[in-house]
Amino acid sequence: MACTVLSAFPYLTPDEFDCACRALVDRAGSCTAAQTDGGWSTLRLVSQNTTSLKITRCLEVQIPALDADLHEPHTHTQAQAQTQARGQAQALEDEDEDPEALVRSNLKPILQIDYDIVLSPTYQVPVLYFMLRWHNHQGRVGLDAVYQYVVPEQYRKQLQSVGVMGGISFGYHPESGSPAFFVHPCNTVDAMARIADGQSVTTGTYLLIWLGLVGLSVNLHVPHELVAPDGPSPS
Amino acid sequence: MDNLASPAAIQKRIWDGRIPLEIVLAPSQSRCYDQTDPYIVSFPRVCYLPSLLPKLRAFFSPYLIEPGSQHHDGWFAFEGVPLKWHYPIGLLFDLYAGADPATKTGFGSDDSQESGSSFPWRLTVHFSDWPVEDLVQLDANGIVMNDAFINSVKEADFLRNGTAKGIMSLSKEDSSGLWKAVEDVDLPSFQRISNILLPPPSQPFRNVPIRIFLPLLPDEESGSLKVVQSPLPPLMQALSVHSSQSISSRSSPSTQPQTIGGVLHTLLPNLFPSRRTPVLAKPVLHGAVLPMSAPIEEIVRSSAYGDGWAYVVVRMMG
Repeated sequence: MACTVLSAFPYLTPDEFDCACRALVDRAGSCTAAQTDGGWSTLRLVSQNTTSLKITRCLEVQIPALDADLHEPHTHTQAQAQTQARGQAQALEDEDEDPEALVRSNLKPILQIDYDIVLSPTYQVPVLYFMLRWHNHQGRVGLDAVYQYVVPEQYRKQLQSVGVMGGISFGYHPESGSPAFFVHPCNTVDAMARIADGQSVTTGTYLLIWLGLVGLSVNLHVPHELVAPDGPSPS
Repeated sequence: MDNLASPAAIQKRIWDGRIPLEIVLAPSQSRCYDQTDPYIVSFPRVCYLPSLLPKLRAFFSPYLIEPGSQHHDGWFAFEGVPLKWHYPIGLLFDLYAGADPATKTGFGSDDSQESGSSFPWRLTVHFSDWPVEDLVQLDANGIVMNDAFINSVKEADFLRNGTAKGIMSLSKEDSSGLWKAVEDVDLPSFQRISNILLPPPSQPFRNVPIRIFLPLLPDEESGSLKVVQSPLPPLMQALSVHSSQSISSRSSPSTQPQTIGGVLHTLLPNLFPSRRTPVLAKPVLHGAVLPMSAPIEEIVRSSAYGDGWAYVVVRMMG
């Protein structure tokens, strides 16, 4: 895919955003280790009226003893089983030095995070929406759960200290109209301009830089294969 | 009717605008099923439904099957559709109530008052079974509501100025004062703070904060409102009668105000085949049909909701 210089960095036009999403999907597709290593269980481009990029992660979560009483009984749909399998594969990747991982109960609580990157028609930069879903556990899915399980500890204080209720809001997904969390985009423009030089950012690299800036605070890591200097060599 | 009303006079009339509401308790949550007395209130257009909840919770408390529910467990529905509380009620009414919008010549058709299908607007309040798929949950202290309002203010500010520094540099006092002024329908306090945010009249907006809501189809999923938003500069190149001649015309490019008719024709050409005359659909704001020739910046300066946005509802004609 041709990478083009942006017409008004750090802003993106809808076409440039579409191009940037496709570039990221191409990168991930040509890089077999990316999805497992970065913990991205799926990466999907949706382009109906507008383009969005959906990334799903499944985290195995240690539930504090108090919450563990709420454990769901052994009801287990097929979809859950599949997610469970993915989660277990992930666990093996992460902890392959731990032989105990192999014999763990297969009913560990799994927190599925569905991220969705869309272009804000107001700010003209990408916005990160996300929703939470538990498997094998009837847990909370509110803002407190976001700070407890999704936001890494080193970002909590900083995120909670801004705005009316912190840097993460609970609003509505622009396409589906369903409740969803989102990371405030109002500082994205300044932050992008500060860390990157408009001349060198292309549709091919924009989202990698943006993910590094916005994604980390809500546990969305860029798999390091994707940021190798020249990208993965074609096989 | 005075056609030359000043922006300030229009704004005052909008803030004075009220919608009569008849709110009933969901029968499934009432001890006397559908025999509960309704709560009747004349509610300001620019306000938000959750601010009614403490009074409603108190009014309906003798009837509630679940006495443990709290006011922030409350949510509203119209004909079974959960209402998004982060929109001002004036917009929700224009979207859902089906009332004939007012025109220059009068208030809808002659018999609309008599048949009374839309006044008072009948809503249902629930105090349990929160529709988690449709609505963001509220909290006891109104923080979620306040946050949604301020986010919306920030977006409008960003569009007007190209930065959100205005609202972010607003003092904490003024920032919460803005929300309080809307909750209390206190126009003088609101104007004092919003004048800090608005560019002076001599300085045009960078973009005009308008969202356009498409007509709801009867068979469609209730939650998915179709909203159109695009960067809208207040001025555009003047359309020259001779524009088809030469592009390298020597005359300097002149600009003219962008009208709502022009915007609708550009964004929704199928619904608005003409920029001057409503043919298939008409734009409605605050219960009234907008003149197609109204400049968009004037619309927002005079008729925006408290968050700085003009929410225009597209109504099919005929």
